[in-house]
Amino acid sequence: MSSGDFNAFEMAQAQFDKVAELLNLDNGTREVLRIPLREYHFSIPVHMDDGTTEVFRGFRVQHNDAKGPCKGGIRFHPQETVDTVRALSMWMTWKCAVVNIPLGGGKGGVICDPHNLSMNEQQQICRGYVRQMAKNVGPINDVPAPDVMTSAQHMLWMLDEYEVIHGSKNPGFITGKPVGMGGSLGRKEATGYGVIYTVREALKELKIDPKDTTASFQGFGNVAQHAIELYTQLGGKVICVSSWDQEDQTSYSFKRETGVDLPELLTITNKFGGIDKAKAKELGYEILPGDEWLVQEVDILVPAALENQIRGDNAEKISPKVKLIAEGANGPTAPEADAIIEKKGIFLVPDFLANAGGVTCSYFEQVQSNMNYFWEKDDVLNRLDLKMTSAFLAVSELAKKKNLYMRDAAYVIAIQRVAQACKDRGWV
Amino acid sequence: MTTDNRSINLLVYELQERAKELTCIYKIEELLTNQDKPIEDVFSKVIEAIPPGWQFPEITEAKLTYNEKTYRTKKFMNTPWLLEENIKVQDKIVGKVSVCYVTEKPYIDFGPFLKEEQKLLRTIADRLAHYILHRNLQTIFKKIHNGEDKGADFIGDWRIVLDMVRKTDPNLFMSLLRKLHNVLCWKGIEEAEDLMKSSSILEMNLESGNEPDENKPLKKAKIINYDDYINTIIRLTNKFLSYDEVLAKIQKWMQEDKSSELVKVVETQGTSLSEIAEAIRKYFHIAPEKFELTLQTAKGLRVSLLRRFFSDDLTFISVAKEYVKLTDFYNLIDRMIFPPSSHGKLGGKSSGMFLASNILRKDEQNAELFKDIKIPKTWYMTSDGILAFMHYNNLEEALEQKYKSLAEVKLEYPHIVQSFKNSQLPPELSKGLSVALDDLGDGPLIVRSSSLLEDQMGAAFSGKYKSLFLANQGSKQERLNALSDAVTEVFASTFGPDPIEYRAERGLLDYHEEMGIMIQEVVGRQIGKYFLPAYAGVAFSNNEFRWSPRIKRDDGLVRMVAGLGTRAVDRVSDDYPILIAPGQANLRVNVTIDETVRYSQKKIDVIDLETNEFKTIDFEKIIKKYGHLYKGLNNIVSTVEGSMLRPVGFDTEFEDEDFYITFEGLLNNTNFVKKLRTMLITLEDKMKCPVDIEFASDGESLYLLQCRPQSHSEHHEPDIIPKNLPKDQVLFSANKYISNGQVPKLSHIVYVDPDKYASLPDKKTMQDVGTAIGKLNKLLPRRKFVLMGPGRWGSRGDIKLGVSITYSDINNTAMLIEIARKKGKYVPDLSFGTHFFQDLVESSIRYLPLYPDDEGVVFNERFFQISDNIFQYLLPEYANLADTIKVIDVPQSTAGLFVKILTNAELDEAIAILTSNEKFDADESQRIGYGSSSSSHQWKWRMDMAKKIAFEIDAKKYGIKGMYIFGSTKERTAGQGSDIDLLIHDDGVLEQRQQAELWLDGWSKCLAEMLYLNTGYSSDGLLDLHFITDEDIKNKTSWAIKINSMDNQAEKLDLKIN
Repeated sequence: MSSGDFNAFEMAQAQFDKVAELLNLDNGTREVLRIPLREYHFSIPVHMDDGTTEVFRGFRVQHNDAKGPCKGGIRFHPQETVDTVRALSMWMTWKCAVVNIPLGGGKGGVICDPHNLSMNEQQQICRGYVRQMAKNVGPINDVPAPDVMTSAQHMLWMLDEYEVIHGSKNPGFITGKPVGMGGSLGRKEATGYGVIYTVREALKELKIDPKDTTASFQGFGNVAQHAIELYTQLGGKVICVSSWDQEDQTSYSFKRETGVDLPELLTITNKFGGIDKAKAKELGYEILPGDEWLVQEVDILVPAALENQIRGDNAEKISPKVKLIAEGANGPTAPEADAIIEKKGIFLVPDFLANAGGVTCSYFEQVQSNMNYFWEKDDVLNRLDLKMTSAFLAVSELAKKKNLYMRDAAYVIAIQRVAQACKDRGWV
Repeated sequence: MTTDNRSINLLVYELQERAKELTCIYKIEELLTNQDKPIEDVFSKVIEAIPPGWQFPEITEAKLTYNEKTYRTKKFMNTPWLLEENIKVQDKIVGKVSVCYVTEKPYIDFGPFLKEEQKLLRTIADRLAHYILHRNLQTIFKKIHNGEDKGADFIGDWRIVLDMVRKTDPNLFMSLLRKLHNVLCWKGIEEAEDLMKSSSILEMNLESGNEPDENKPLKKAKIINYDDYINTIIRLTNKFLSYDEVLAKIQKWMQEDKSSELVKVVETQGTSLSEIAEAIRKYFHIAPEKFELTLQTAKGLRVSLLRRFFSDDLTFISVAKEYVKLTDFYNLIDRMIFPPSSHGKLGGKSSGMFLASNILRKDEQNAELFKDIKIPKTWYMTSDGILAFMHYNNLEEALEQKYKSLAEVKLEYPHIVQSFKNSQLPPELSKGLSVALDDLGDGPLIVRSSSLLEDQMGAAFSGKYKSLFLANQGSKQERLNALSDAVTEVFASTFGPDPIEYRAERGLLDYHEEMGIMIQEVVGRQIGKYFLPAYAGVAFSNNEFRWSPRIKRDDGLVRMVAGLGTRAVDRVSDDYPILIAPGQANLRVNVTIDETVRYSQKKIDVIDLETNEFKTIDFEKIIKKYGHLYKGLNNIVSTVEGSMLRPVGFDTEFEDEDFYITFEGLLNNTNFVKKLRTMLITLEDKMKCPVDIEFASDGESLYLLQCRPQSHSEHHEPDIIPKNLPKDQVLFSANKYISNGQVPKLSHIVYVDPDKYASLPDKKTMQDVGTAIGKLNKLLPRRKFVLMGPGRWGSRGDIKLGVSITYSDINNTAMLIEIARKKGKYVPDLSFGTHFFQDLVESSIRYLPLYPDDEGVVFNERFFQISDNIFQYLLPEYANLADTIKVIDVPQSTAGLFVKILTNAELDEAIAILTSNEKFDADESQRIGYGSSSSSHQWKWRMDMAKKIAFEIDAKKYGIKGMYIFGSTKERTAGQGSDIDLLIHDDGVLEQRQQAELWLDGWSKCLAEMLYLNTGYSSDGLLDLHFITDEDIKNKTSWAIKINSMDNQAEKLDLKIN
């Protein structure tokens, strides 16, 4: 990402500029939103296991906190650049805004490769990071979360250091904690369910009864499995699922016209969502090439695996029967495919709306932590439904009203909300 | 002895009598072994033990007189029916033992006594005499040792010893005297020297004044006055040597005498192992451990024994002799199986094991750490067992096998295996195995090969010969049959194609190979119907697979698995052992939870005790069912909660949770890593070479299973990697997991197209690819071609992951390249640490993983696509594979170029370049000490060369007024691709300038060649010449501006002043 020909931050800015133009934002607002409000660049000296000292570079970028405390992960990556962190912090601002949770966007990172670090050294980095940032982050300022190559363990180290420095317990300082250590129930289900909440609302809008629909899923990981679970509960029928086969190093589509029986399929699935081909065959599944999921004659497509799966070269093959695409994965649709989808008149729930269940649940974790009162799983999921539904309705209403493509509408609504907050605060 | 007319009753009676006599002797013998009890106690018990040996014990009484004391049974009296024997110590009667009947009995042989009874009494008397003598000696030594009795009595004491020896063992006595004499001479005692010169009583007589005529030859020494000689020595000894000294010496010499028999047996070439074993046993019987051998004798013995039992290898002996004690051999001989008159050895594996275990046991520094390291119970069969077996079954023709063509060897091997397995072991080996089984019990066993060639320094026959697991269940006969069967199978593997090929390659065919066998109990426990160790693995001193640049080579490598170690040693295609660098144990290969879970071991090797089979089963299955029985499981597995690894705890529900093998507990909460690391370091240090060990644990203790030198090759110099090469000159580059190793220039490339291979229609066609590669291996010029293919070469699992080949199918290649094209997030497992990889290392076949899709890596796919394929001409019968297998004749495709692959582990870089032939010959013939290709060297070298040119040039001849240097050399920024910018100020005379150019051009080409030799970077010339004249300087035209320019000012070079 550091190479000259691709700069994530410039790309994010260009995307913003496009919407700002559409919204006809004033210059001051544009300037405030185009660049992060605050950036911290700092050094983290670490005494390595072998007695030497190494200094790691850390960043924290707070893109915008007009709507509330910044929220965003901390990445450990050897090719980390501040521009990547800037771009991601901006995307966090929009993501929080689209589901209308009272949070701003932030992101952090440390240039390091955990593959070259012991756990002890990683702990030193985590604690060092917090020591540098302790004054500028916190439950009411900026709330970190796990991200690329960081985990609950890293978050707990950071939380502990923060609490030591402040001499108080502040579980709301960080999210992504394990359940029982300030984590929230329902986190596993959140993203997958969130996707289907939006699907449900979209079908309502399209005036289709979920019971009359069929769907095809790409991927059979955590998101897809929970999405299928909820979708099936709504009465829908999944007839095709694709999954990666570790042994064959390729993916396969598993098709059964009578519908996928999730509990049954799970018994022949490994921890990584890989489905046992032979056993699937016995259960009456047809084993097809991996990309067959896309061309099925279904009403709904849910890409919930990798980015860049629906492209210019295959979008045309999408069946005319398809009425809805819900992006469970991040960026599954290439820009050139968007045009084809739009032309085909397929209703699209864009990724940062469809899979915002994750960030919403993080927000719930923060809320629960701050009051030190933790909800039951149903509680969490019901509130999630509420949030996702209203977020979806706002976007789709705008799309209808202004005749916008759903993806654009989502951006418009997010940016508008943040811009408004800046204005209301009298910043611009 | 018996006659037919004797009644059965009488016979039985006689036998009963003999039995009684024997019991009596045994009883007395037993009493007399106790040297520590007061003599009175012992003797009073002895007389009680005597009567039961006689015909009529109820009327038999006994008496013993010794040292003015009398011991008697209650009713002893002097009756007419009396039998007596004197107790004689050193020919002196010191006591008497008597037996009487108190009532009359019929007369038989000696009065009422049997002749056997008389004999019995004599034996008892002899035994008592021996006891008394031994006891006396002991008392004396003890007193001396405790420093009691200082004073005048002292002298008397050692004299008593000598005196006793003189009477009991004249030979030993004379030998002691001779030695004392020598000591006296060394001390420079004149009289003793005189005595030595003559060594004769004649000379001693000269003491009285008769000087010998010095011109006459000395008369042949003859000790005629024996007593005088002795007395003189004793007198001198008394006078000149300290009491302690004398006694210590006598003690030592007497001990040496005891070992002399052993030394003789061991040193004699012709003695068989059984004779040696007998001699060792005897030695330990007669010489209680209290007596220490002298250093020299002990060392001599150890060396001889090492040579006879293990190896003639001097390196091995020189190390082993420091750590192995005589007792170790004593313990070993009881666990050896050998043919009668065997001259065999125990073989490489046994030697390594024996040595390593002794090194660890005797390491005082780490005694605490090593104290619970165990060695599994092991039996050994000597290497000539196989010869005895073949001779017994007339199978000797197999010995010729190694000289046959490989095809024949391959063809006939199954037949050999069958005929071996259908043959009987000679009775003595069979008997040995039976004894071994009784000792080893009915736990599972592993039968390992331990051949003479195997595991010797530098030649790891790893995996070439068989190692077989046996469940060892059932009746004794069933178990014995299975064991014999396994032994013959291991024997047969000596004649397999792989080892023969391997030996042929290394010039070891003529070496006389014999196969020793190691029968080891398998470390582990029974869990359900399975038997398995908690964990097992291999560890290496040198880490040749570094997953992080922070890991150094000497941080070592451990490859470990739960269950039997086979999965750690062999390549397994779809599973992952845990890798640890013990020097940097905290740097894990897998960092995120996802990685940890995905790359964890899924299957486990076990022995099924019900079916008597070696099996691979799902780890999950065994855990869910038997988790609570698995000892040490909390050290091995973790559960995952969210993104946190959790140890197995008190309340773990084995049936409900998912478990992953992480070894977190073992690595974090035990001293396992420290132990292993210290072990590796200690063994490497003591054995003076990097080692490779196998270990296992039953969940409690760590067992060392094997130890051998880690295979290595000599050429480990890093190459210099040239930079900034033109794109079309580079075939590919790599920047991960590079190990050093020079690769010869290559003329052919065999390229198995990863995509085409993956899309082959069926398994059969994929196997054909392997067969075709095997044939190409024979057709192409040896070590002049490289094999490039997808994933893992020789994968034992899924054929789709890589071409299925064995070592003999690829042994001629110069380098084996595994191409890992990115497919999703998949990164193939590397082949390090496996038998296969070690073969590569051993035969100097280089290994290189390629990641063509990585950033910053060059992969010239076009070259592989457009170059002509000669595969179908080489193997027309496989023409259908021509799409998949591409054979490129590089010189033909590139107008005479060759491929050179340069590797540099320090930089973790490798590159394959196309280059011309001549340059290579130069490259290989000479390497200039250029050191490094770093830019600081680059400018400096250029600057030095420029200065040298300026100094060398004949300025007058060429009309040169001055020379300057500018550009990157002057700016100290020159890299490999930079040229040397020279500014030459001359008169401007054309002819002179042309001559100067010619002269400088020679330099230019010469420098280019030097650069090439040093860096592999080639160019036509290195000098960039710019001529200027006075006028240019005046007008600041052309390059002259450089002379006084503000920036980039040229630097003046000194010309030679003449």
